Amino acid sequence: MVNLSPRMTYLARFYHPRLASGSRPTPGVFDLGARSDGQGGGFADGRVLLRDVTVRYGRRIALDTVSGEFAAGSLTAVVGVNGAGKSTLLAAIAGVVRLASGVVNRAARQRLAHLPQLAAMDLGYPLTVSELITLGGWREFGPFRSPRTALRERVVQVAETVGLAGRLARRIGEISAGELQRALFARLILQDAAVILLDEPFASVDAQTLSVLLDQVIEWHREGRTVIAVLHDLDLVQAHFPSTLVLARHCVAWGATEVALPTMAA
Amino acid sequence: MSAHALIMEPFETLGFMRAALVACLALALTNGAVGTLLVLRRMSLDGDVLGHAVMPGAAVGFLYAGPSPTWLSLGGLTSGLAVAALAGLITSERARRDAALVGFYLVALSLGVVLVAWRGSNVDVMRVLFGTVLAIDQRGLLQIAAVSSVIVLVIAALYRPLAVGAFDPAFLRAVGARAPYGAVFLALVVLALVASFQAFGTLLAVGPMLLPAAAARCWGLGVAASMALATGFGLAASVAGLLLSYHGNLPSGPAIVLAAGSLFGISLAAAGTWRRLMPMIGREGG
Repeated sequence: MVNLSPRMTYLARFYHPRLASGSRPTPGVFDLGARSDGQGGGFADGRVLLRDVTVRYGRRIALDTVSGEFAAGSLTAVVGVNGAGKSTLLAAIAGVVRLASGVVNRAARQRLAHLPQLAAMDLGYPLTVSELITLGGWREFGPFRSPRTALRERVVQVAETVGLAGRLARRIGEISAGELQRALFARLILQDAAVILLDEPFASVDAQTLSVLLDQVIEWHREGRTVIAVLHDLDLVQAHFPSTLVLARHCVAWGATEVALPTMAA
Repeated sequence: MSAHALIMEPFETLGFMRAALVACLALALTNGAVGTLLVLRRMSLDGDVLGHAVMPGAAVGFLYAGPSPTWLSLGGLTSGLAVAALAGLITSERARRDAALVGFYLVALSLGVVLVAWRGSNVDVMRVLFGTVLAIDQRGLLQIAAVSSVIVLVIAALYRPLAVGAFDPAFLRAVGARAPYGAVFLALVVLALVASFQAFGTLLAVGPMLLPAAAARCWGLGVAASMALATGFGLAASVAGLLLSYHGNLPSGPAIVLAAGSLFGISLAAAGTWRRLMPMIGREGG
């Protein structure tokens, strides 16, 4: 048996005969084949490849043959007008929306964390901030075991990191939108993912919260995680995000922010 | 009349009252948990529609074997599960969902009534629509107890994914919980409705499930505490409803649902007052 390097394994899968034969590739999220220990090499497998990714809602095309690569450890802003398919792109990468065609390649064992838009959550649900954050450690306790003391201590720590120390016992319906966003960021920190997808993370938060959350995003980038964020504030993108993907259902521009972002204004 | 004569005597002297009480208590245990999750998922309407979805299948069971609890349940279970699966398909085309659900509700109800009336009498139609909580035999009782036990055990085992899935199903998928918990939950709802079917009929089966749960939700408790309170409300409504029907010579199923409805009304009013009073007493642990 030939021992393929992760890179070769990836290439072999990417150019799988069935995919390369000219017939339509089977849509879906495919395994890059790279190992995901989260150790030693940090998050070397945090790469995400898109190949002709198309998503339809009924007859409407939400995302049209988007191809490209989010390099491991990259920090990318996804920008575009409303309805440009930004959230759909994140959902496609997360594997929560069915692809009409195309392929998303990422390591199957790679951890992925997805911050949905706030509107997608049920804030009337009887859950405390502490419980919400604890869910970030799901992989440690799973569906059946109870969270350990060490995890509970880490919950308190990350709550302090995002400035929620005094809010742990509150219900999620009783805190402000900014505080809820902080709590969701705390949950993301606990998820310890190689790829982090953020859907409008800074919508409806005040300046102080914005700076806390932005610091965290930059910290994730520094730690070598791949961060993909849907954003509307172009000045913010200009100032803090090295890469930008401009979407208008199809990919308008994708690359270094100073090159890609000006296409948005045009 | 002494308290003993008022409360204990009907159950001491009459076997069918005892059977009805045991059946209602078993159902209350299940309904507290299932109903709370149903309310938290904001799926009350779906629960109602599934209650009617049981009807055509139960009617076919009735045509095949007469009023046998086993065949009614098997038929009801089959059509209930089929509709739950169908509802899952409809969900993907959200826009027309509520119209489709209500349309289905009407068609299922009419089809069931037509099928039962075709071979049976008006009494049979009434039995299928409103149930016969006072005519549950030992086999029916065992069936209700068995199904209720299974549901309670499954919810106990899958409590966390079910509770989290009600709040944030996308998160559950993202952390790699690939089991179809939503579908499992719908199947549990159908099972619970089938268990309630004999006692409360297709029109009322969802009442003892939703009303105590909705009443418990008024008090702003956590998920587990809501389930416990809903179960307590269900038990209280069962006892009160049965006594009401005994002393007032009223139909039992509707009496129990009315008792549960009163608890809901009281909870709505009392919890509102409580919330207004709380800030005056002073907030703790904020």
